[in-house]
Amino acid sequence: MTTSTAAVEITHLTKRFGKALALDDISLSVPPGSVFGFLGPNGAGKTTTLRILTGLATPTSGTATVLGQDVRHAGHDVRRDIGFLPDVPGFYPWMTARDFLRFAGNLFRLDSRTLAARIDSLLDMAGLGSVSAKIGAYSRGMKQRLGMAQALINAPSLLLLDEPTSALDPIGRREVLEMIASLRGRTTVFFSTHILGDVERVCDTAAILHQGRVVADAPVADLKRRAGAEWIVVEVDGDARALADRMAGAAWLRTAESSGSSLRLAVLDLAQAQRAIPEAVAGLGLGLRRFELAEASLEEVFVELVGGPRP
Amino acid sequence: MSGFAVFLGKELLEIRRTWRIWVIPGLTLFFAITGPILALFTPELLRALATTDSGVVIKLPDPTAREAFAQFLQNLGQIVMIALVISGAGSVSGERSSGTAILVLTKPLSRPAFVLAKVVSQQILVVISTILGTIVTIGVTAALFDKLPVREFVTGVAIWLAFAIFFVAVMTLCSVMIRSRGGAAGAGLFFLFSALIASAFPIVAKWTFAGLPAASTRALLGQTPPLLWPLVTAGIGMVAASALAVGMFQRQEN
Repeated sequence: MTTSTAAVEITHLTKRFGKALALDDISLSVPPGSVFGFLGPNGAGKTTTLRILTGLATPTSGTATVLGQDVRHAGHDVRRDIGFLPDVPGFYPWMTARDFLRFAGNLFRLDSRTLAARIDSLLDMAGLGSVSAKIGAYSRGMKQRLGMAQALINAPSLLLLDEPTSALDPIGRREVLEMIASLRGRTTVFFSTHILGDVERVCDTAAILHQGRVVADAPVADLKRRAGAEWIVVEVDGDARALADRMAGAAWLRTAESSGSSLRLAVLDLAQAQRAIPEAVAGLGLGLRRFELAEASLEEVFVELVGGPRP
Repeated sequence: MSGFAVFLGKELLEIRRTWRIWVIPGLTLFFAITGPILALFTPELLRALATTDSGVVIKLPDPTAREAFAQFLQNLGQIVMIALVISGAGSVSGERSSGTAILVLTKPLSRPAFVLAKVVSQQILVVISTILGTIVTIGVTAALFDKLPVREFVTGVAIWLAFAIFFVAVMTLCSVMIRSRGGAAGAGLFFLFSALIASAFPIVAKWTFAGLPAASTRALLGQTPPLLWPLVTAGIGMVAASALAVGMFQRQEN
């Protein structure tokens, strides 16, 4: 048992599959009660990390502790406090959702009264309360919602979710994100995703994983500030494309994205930009409606750090 | 062995609610009913066929209850064993490929409990199916024949059952070792046929589990085959196969 107070503590963790390096010396810490986003493109190593945290795989080197216990030696005591949803949850197709939740609850040795009450509330939460069909007839979205419900059957201290929203429609996705957000402060949520918007919406802290390495690990607000460029939003009373074309190639400008009459610019030298942009607007005979500094989106930070197209 | 009873309950419920209820029990009961009937009418059919066109008359002995019992034992030793191969091959590998193993193994269910519940549930299924099949065979045979060698028949079935219980553990080991259902089934069939071929050598039949299938037939004929070492080695083999399956499964990643 370590003296760590972090819900999840990963130190110099490496995982090799033969010659392939899936995780390359990653370290990160997840504070208890927080909602932690584990962000990365497909194949970055997110699922491998979760498999190690749940004891399904063993690290090649380094350590991972969950709720203060090393996962390699953690017994069932720590599993009783963890809920896990894999990226594609597999269920017994001959069971109903109620059957599966009862089975899962019995593995956690919940008493029958607590289990019955929890099954009812979780089925309602998952929108499956009135569904009597066998799981074999479920859509992927229904299975994902049942996966969330089974992960919460033991009221876990730590919820590990692997791509929990990837199979959901927009409404289902919003519901799951709201549910994750509602757990903040009571349950530590560690969820992997490649959907940047999900992290922006609910996470306190996020780590960005790329090719098996953690390239950023900080509060979401700090991550946004880390982008190498500053951002300016400009709105004119004409076509912003002409303005973008006029400024293209300027040394102070990194990127310019126009949409109708507005323009979003990533600038390397804010002082120069503040002088050059009004000049360019005036030079084109346009009127300046809006000129303001903007915050980088997580997507922009992600592209900046990962150095490629968005996942 | 955390979670053993809960997971065993799930396994037994799965047998009851899925196709598995129709395979081993269904086959056993089918052969229990049809074995004595076939034994009774096969000589009649052969006589009818032989005398229809050719005018040749074949003299066949009257069928006996022993032949009815032998028919059932033969079906257990062939078709039911193949069914054990097919159902046992996917017991662990099927849970892995469907993703259900991941979901249950991240709960307080130990890996030994997972594997041993698979072994025990399949053994319970085989024992109950065989007992029911034996009772039905005796009942149908009693309705059709006189002079039933019940004691010899029950002894023969019990010897076969010992081999089947051992073989269930072997199939579970195959399913742990080989991740594909087809591969596990192939390994199980290889083991089964190897044992049957090896049992042709008297020394192997006398000293190892491989002698059990032939011993069950000899017991039905009223003979007293050597049973001590075949039973002891089957018991040791069952424990060893189960322990090996547990050990391998604990080291494997899922």
